[in-house]
Amino acid sequence: MTSRGTPSRFLQSVLQNGVGRYVCQLKRLSIIFSKNAQSSLGIREFIEEGVVDYAKNNPSTVVYVSPQSCRIPKIVAEYLNGNVREEIVTSKTSTQISEVITKLTNQSGLDIIRLRKPFHTDNPSIQGQWHPFTNRPPSIGPIRPQKQDA
Amino acid sequence: MVFLSLSSWIRSRGPDRYWKVQEIIKHAKHFRGRKNRCYTLAVKAVRRAFVYATKGRRLKKRNMRTLWISRIAAASREHGMKYPVLMHNLTKTSVQLNRRVISDLAITEPRSFLSLAKVARARQQEGFRAALGDGKEPAGIFSRVVLLQ
Repeated sequence: MTSRGTPSRFLQSVLQNGVGRYVCQLKRLSIIFSKNAQSSLGIREFIEEGVVDYAKNNPSTVVYVSPQSCRIPKIVAEYLNGNVREEIVTSKTSTQISEVITKLTNQSGLDIIRLRKPFHTDNPSIQGQWHPFTNRPPSIGPIRPQKQDA
Repeated sequence: MVFLSLSSWIRSRGPDRYWKVQEIIKHAKHFRGRKNRCYTLAVKAVRRAFVYATKGRRLKKRNMRTLWISRIAAASREHGMKYPVLMHNLTKTSVQLNRRVISDLAITEPRSFLSLAKVARARQQEGFRAALGDGKEPAGIFSRVVLLQ
């Protein structure tokens, strides 16, 4: 895992989300599970209890519930910038699944790769960035080569 | 003649070779020459690259610190002070800014850095007065270390 060999990005928010209104970046949540398999037990419990409350609390996210005959239950999250993230939830309890879903709701859709810096500013300098003439008033005189009387 | 048992002689010697090879070569895609295509060469090159990456993580901390120190030294020399004097006096006045922050201030906030240099200079003068004077003058303002606990 070299830094040049693996992709990396800078920390950013999607279009300064949160400065004005906060827009939830999760567009669509598709829950794929099986009606009769043991691995989807937690998912089925979550769908019985928690899904409707979650959908009411997050009106901007569309929730699709699709029972299929599948071996592994999945939650597929699609974000407003087009990224798709799949979480595999085999043999998880209902509380764990709701935690996973809150995590997906709070994520912006940006790629989960190495962040180069844990901070970012648009205005790094307030007093004016240093340039060679900041501490050099013109009264000092121009830069001359040092006179060496040899 | 019909060869009926020919197809039963074909064995699959492991269906995963492509993906196992890709796992290595995907880390070598930006290399030069045949190391980015041929598995035998790529294995050696990728192992080397990972070893260098591990060593580089320790070196990066050292290199960044020397970079910060040289930047702080250059900035303090603009104000007529040297790096060891600046840092020693800043620690004596219990200014607990690390070298990274001070170098960022020197770049983006030159006036704040100037005020830090002035604080260090004042503390240095008070130190000289305390050492060379006769103890009759009170200790200066910057020599008072306040413990807020």
